[in-house]
Amino acid sequence: MNIPVGAFIAVSSILFFIGVAGVLMRRNAVVILMCVELMLNAANLALVAFSRRAGSPDERGSVFVVFIFVIAAAEVAVGLAIVLSSYRNRPTVDVDEVQAMKG
Amino acid sequence: MSYDFIETILFALLTLGIVGGALGVVFLNRITGSALLMAFTFLCNAGMFVLLGAETIAAFQVLIYVGAITVLVLYGVMFTPQQDRPYGLFFQKQTPWAALFVAPIGLFVALFAFSFRDGSHASAKGGDLVPLATSVFRDYAFPFEVASVLLLAAMIGAIVLVKRDDE
Amino acid sequence: MIQDVWLIPALPLAAFLVNGLFGRRFLRHATGAIATGAIAASAVMATLVFLEVLGGQERTTVTLYRWIGVGDFTVNVSALVDPLSSVMLLVVTVVGTLIFIFANGYMAHDHGFARFFTWFSLFAFAMLILVMADNYLLMFVGWEGVGLCSYLLIGFWFDKPAPQHAANKAFWMNRIGDWGYTIGMVTTFLVFGSLTYTEVFAKVGIATQANLTLICIAFFVGAAGKSAQLPLHSWLPDAMEGPTPVSALIHAATMVTAGVYLVARSTPLFVAAGPALQVVAVVGAITAIFAATIALVQFDIKRVMAYSTVSQLGYMFLALGVGAPVAAIFHLATHAFFKALLFLGSGSVIHGLGNEQDMRKMGGLRRKMPVTYWTMLVAGGALAALPPLAGFWSKDEILSGAFLSGQTALWAVGIVTAILTAFYVTRALWLTFHGEPRDLHLYEHAHESPAVMTLPLVALAIGSATLGLLVGFPPDQGFIHSFLGPAVTVEGAAERAVELSTLLGLAAVSVAAGIVGIVIGVAMYVRHRPDPAAVTRAAGPIYRLLVNKYYIDELYDHRIVEALRAFFGVLWAFDVHVIDGLANGIGRLAAVGGGGARRLQTGVVGNYALTVVVGLLVVLVAYGGYAAGVFKR
Repeated sequence: MNIPVGAFIAVSSILFFIGVAGVLMRRNAVVILMCVELMLNAANLALVAFSRRAGSPDERGSVFVVFIFVIAAAEVAVGLAIVLSSYRNRPTVDVDEVQAMKG
Repeated sequence: MSYDFIETILFALLTLGIVGGALGVVFLNRITGSALLMAFTFLCNAGMFVLLGAETIAAFQVLIYVGAITVLVLYGVMFTPQQDRPYGLFFQKQTPWAALFVAPIGLFVALFAFSFRDGSHASAKGGDLVPLATSVFRDYAFPFEVASVLLLAAMIGAIVLVKRDDE
Repeated sequence: MIQDVWLIPALPLAAFLVNGLFGRRFLRHATGAIATGAIAASAVMATLVFLEVLGGQERTTVTLYRWIGVGDFTVNVSALVDPLSSVMLLVVTVVGTLIFIFANGYMAHDHGFARFFTWFSLFAFAMLILVMADNYLLMFVGWEGVGLCSYLLIGFWFDKPAPQHAANKAFWMNRIGDWGYTIGMVTTFLVFGSLTYTEVFAKVGIATQANLTLICIAFFVGAAGKSAQLPLHSWLPDAMEGPTPVSALIHAATMVTAGVYLVARSTPLFVAAGPALQVVAVVGAITAIFAATIALVQFDIKRVMAYSTVSQLGYMFLALGVGAPVAAIFHLATHAFFKALLFLGSGSVIHGLGNEQDMRKMGGLRRKMPVTYWTMLVAGGALAALPPLAGFWSKDEILSGAFLSGQTALWAVGIVTAILTAFYVTRALWLTFHGEPRDLHLYEHAHESPAVMTLPLVALAIGSATLGLLVGFPPDQGFIHSFLGPAVTVEGAAERAVELSTLLGLAAVSVAAGIVGIVIGVAMYVRHRPDPAAVTRAAGPIYRLLVNKYYIDELYDHRIVEALRAFFGVLWAFDVHVIDGLANGIGRLAAVGGGGARRLQTGVVGNYALTVVVGLLVVLVAYGGYAAGVFKR
């Protein structure tokens, strides 16, 4: 119990911003999805830390972690499906080259 | 009391694993390596949960992230083979801008994070299973069911997206 | 029983719903039986209601529910059951039942059988609502409903151009009338603050003369549109493009009398607004003689009957105008019988000849179609006002009413019209049934209609023959007067004490008029002395004028339609250039703005994500500044 909650939050924020940097920097759509997962994990860490150390006794924060699991699973499934169907049209996973949304 | 230093050492190792793994995911040039490092990061995160006394969440983390999601991502890597290319092309054109904007925010937030203090209440002794189950299945039973519908919708959506029209 | 009066329109409505939903696919020819059964049950109900009204239930209001309630203003969906509406209910349902039965035979081979009975049931429902309503708004619902059904049924054979045009014409002409009705209704509301008959009539005194005149003229415009009075008459002859049962029920017996019913219902208003009543009388008289002259020269058997209907409706308005509403309703009832019979007889002839309507190709049919012949002879006699047939009693009352009101000119017009009426009905019946067959091929194939069609003819013939004597004898004091009189006569109206000798004299004159007309007809078409062709040649310009229906349609086309078209052309240009220009301009503005904003969308997901992060940075800086007190006031 000697590690303050702030340290966990700091780790969480560093992990989150590494994820952000990855999303912004990498071209490969699959890697971008991985980085999004990293960001979600960072959020999980922050939620659990607050829930255990600074929250109410009924662990409300952890409940959201459960929901984030669900959403992460859904997100990665749909995201990969989109990447796959896009890859089928043009054999690339470079987000720079997939510009169907260009106005 | 005498084992406090072990906790600190564990925390330092896990932090190292998380930050190193995450940086590896972003900067490694082999995508398979990225995926495996991502799994490693998830595993370290699970260790963090254990340190926080949230064993149930840690178990979920291992099962869902390290198990299911990593496998899914590996399948994604497998189905989208890439030809070799210079390492510089792994990054988007906006990379310098991204670094410029992300670094100050990340620094700011990370420093700000240390200002958080522990709350007054002590965590339940018997781990997080009982409070978590109580919350999920009593107070949040309806959202939990909705989440199952969301999963179903995502499953159907993924199938529809990937299904070939001519089959 | 009166409390269940809602069943009377509800049954045809149910038939409409059942036939409309299941008719075409599942019921097919059962639709006819369903619709006929429904209206027959309604007729039974209407008879029971009538008997109850006869037994002393003078005036009952049966409220179904409150439709509109705003402050003091209330409109109920409720039925006013009084002698006037019970008579109308009876006429509509009884004549309707007979025509429904007839239609089962007439439409038997038509592809649209189910559709026909669907609309026919809807019409019966709307007409009964119109008649039963206890306020002007609910009446308007029925009013529009019958107009809609009229449109649908005139254009029943919509794959042919003529019915389409006729349906559109009827619809638009009726719109003019509906416009008048709406103005009358709104003005009534503004003046009296109510639309319920009893409340409005109780407050007639509070309205100024000008207001009353406006209301009555507006309502009369509505009535003229619905009842095909000048100058809105020209849709009715064209409406004969519809199936003959439609012509009989809608365009002879019931719907076109809605205008008469409206004016009769509003008698207290019209009596209080003196000049309006005069307008009604004059328009009615002019329409009567005008339509009768056109009927002289038509060769299409249904068009003769159509102009005859316009003419007879003119009689009814004449009666209303000279202060004899009982006579008007009496004539409405008898006319419903004998005109429906004439139409159904024409339909039987047309059916028997394989859809031939031109009388020049008929002739001698009485040997082939005896039932049709004899029943139509009865109806023709009633139309020509021969005693003791029904038409005599009602028409005589109208004419004596006109004479006794002191408007001798209107009476004279009525007498002349009576001569013309007798002439053209003689001509029509002779051309159709007597003489030698002029088209042997058609004649060979002619056949009497089946019993499902001839039985209604017989029933209507019995009604046409006896109805007048039953309810209208003795003149001016018959049953119909004692029954209807209190309902439609305004209190305080001067009681006329009329010598019996005067009445007999007037009756003699009108009988003489009928006989003169018949004699002329027989002379021309049986003896050929003078020969019709010779008369036609001698009266060349007049004949052409009549054959072309006084060029009314052409006049409307050239003067009104073209003027309107020019006017609306201006509106159209304004619409295209200014209104549309405005709308398109706004649209173009959005397009240009969107085109500019489009450049922001690179389609590169990374750029979007970066933008999010930049936004996050801005928020954090702002939050930090706020926390540090930079933005303190």
